Amino acid sequence: MMPPFASILFYLFAAVIIFLAIVSVSARNIFHSAIALTGALSVVACLFALLGADFLAATQLLLYVGGIMIIMLFVIMLSQQRHNAPQTNQQWVWAAALSLTVAGVLIYTFRDSFKDVPPTLAMQPTTARIGQLLLGDMLVPFEAISLVLLAALVGAVVFAQDTLPPSK
Amino acid sequence: VSFELGAIVSHAFQLARTWMTARGMPEWGALLTTMSVETIIVISLVLFIPVVMVYAERKISAAMQARLGPTETGPWGLFQTIADTVKLLFKEDIIPVGGDPWLHRLAPIVAVAPAFVCFAAIPFGIGLIPVDMDTGVLFIFAVSGVSTIGVLLAGWGSGNKYSMLGGIRGAAQLVSYEIPRVLSVVPALMLYQSLSLRVIAEAQQGRLWGFFPKWLIFYPFGFIGFLLFLICSVAETNRTPFDIPEAESELVAGYHTEFSGFKFALFFLAEYAYIIVSSAMAVALFFGGGDGPTIAGGHSISWIWFQVKMAPIAFLFIWFRWTFPRLRVDRLMQFCWQFLLPLSFVNILATAGWILWRG
Repeated sequence: MMPPFASILFYLFAAVIIFLAIVSVSARNIFHSAIALTGALSVVACLFALLGADFLAATQLLLYVGGIMIIMLFVIMLSQQRHNAPQTNQQWVWAAALSLTVAGVLIYTFRDSFKDVPPTLAMQPTTARIGQLLLGDMLVPFEAISLVLLAALVGAVVFAQDTLPPSK
Repeated sequence: VSFELGAIVSHAFQLARTWMTARGMPEWGALLTTMSVETIIVISLVLFIPVVMVYAERKISAAMQARLGPTETGPWGLFQTIADTVKLLFKEDIIPVGGDPWLHRLAPIVAVAPAFVCFAAIPFGIGLIPVDMDTGVLFIFAVSGVSTIGVLLAGWGSGNKYSMLGGIRGAAQLVSYEIPRVLSVVPALMLYQSLSLRVIAEAQQGRLWGFFPKWLIFYPFGFIGFLLFLICSVAETNRTPFDIPEAESELVAGYHTEFSGFKFALFFLAEYAYIIVSSAMAVALFFGGGDGPTIAGGHSISWIWFQVKMAPIAFLFIWFRWTFPRLRVDRLMQFCWQFLLPLSFVNILATAGWILWRG
């Protein structure tokens, strides 16, 4: 009995994501880590597309791969030398404990969520509904998050200035 | 009898699927087979783009500079680009000693692969769209953004200061121009209330007063949107006047300095494929897609009209390259952030005002 084609793709994508995630934390070269993370985020977009979230998939690719990862690579190119970065520092015990706790909480929370993965429903357009939610029911939280981002942007500009503006 | 290529192709694939399932192939296997054939057709056509575009570029630039261009290889020099391609394929592949060999191998692939994927969402006429997805415009912007990573990889992986500077410049330029480029098409999305290129193109069919086409380009904000989209698309393909990442007089050849043979050809392929993607998007968004006069008996030939409209826009890309001087790197960023971006916001506001006034 052949498993459904969508299932094969799902487990293939999942395996690739896990492999690239392990590479991104274990690679000695920081640029290689960033590339592996980029790959992992792209395959997450493929996973979203497979699960029928077309808008989310495109947004994931546009923001994470086309935006955030490019800025991250840009920063590495400007600031790093070509040497192998140390992989751990003195706080690795606490970091590992925290990561395991977060993993445990996530697994506990989602233990019942993957009964029928991948879903057998047909692809439904989601964009119009998301737009109505963002500019309707969810308008206040949406605008609040925009304000937080604006504050972060202004803060970054202030920090990036060579000298502080002269005070009167 | 139908002259619509889309209907003919989908009918042929339907027949093939029926034939395969009748011989005991599972439904998904037949679908996978026909989709693979479809993919191979699209990829072959994309591979053919640079052959045509490079010939056009050489002949047009020659005409603009009072030269002849290629004349010797074949009639009117038609086989020149084929000869060039063969030469590039047989050239030695050199990986610099100081570079990062894996990143050097990966860079051309990352730069060129998204260009192929973009063609999946483009409606080359009625029914002639490889994958009719609901979020077509967003999909093309998202996927084409991945090519920037290829530029960065090439810059870092070459282990060369010129490549490195080219990569950094390329990333800064491409990320900046991506923003007004996305915003320039928002008026089209607002007016036709869809993210699908097919729906937007079909919404522009019909005639005002019986003869005037209802294309978006004839609205004031549609015209400004098209200009913004065109300028940003030229910047996204790294062509003059926006070729700061590969400026010959400053950076040798920028991020692809250390690439030879086949890998260099892949960067070239990506550039020309993106010209066609941008032209096709412009036709679908601003020029009514395959809308045009019907031939005898009322048969529409949208796929021919689509190509006919796409060619002049691709010509604009070549025209710009051979007539404008290169911008300085700080002026380039200033132009984007202080002129194009505010203008695209004003354009969106004007469209919103018009939609409100229209009711």
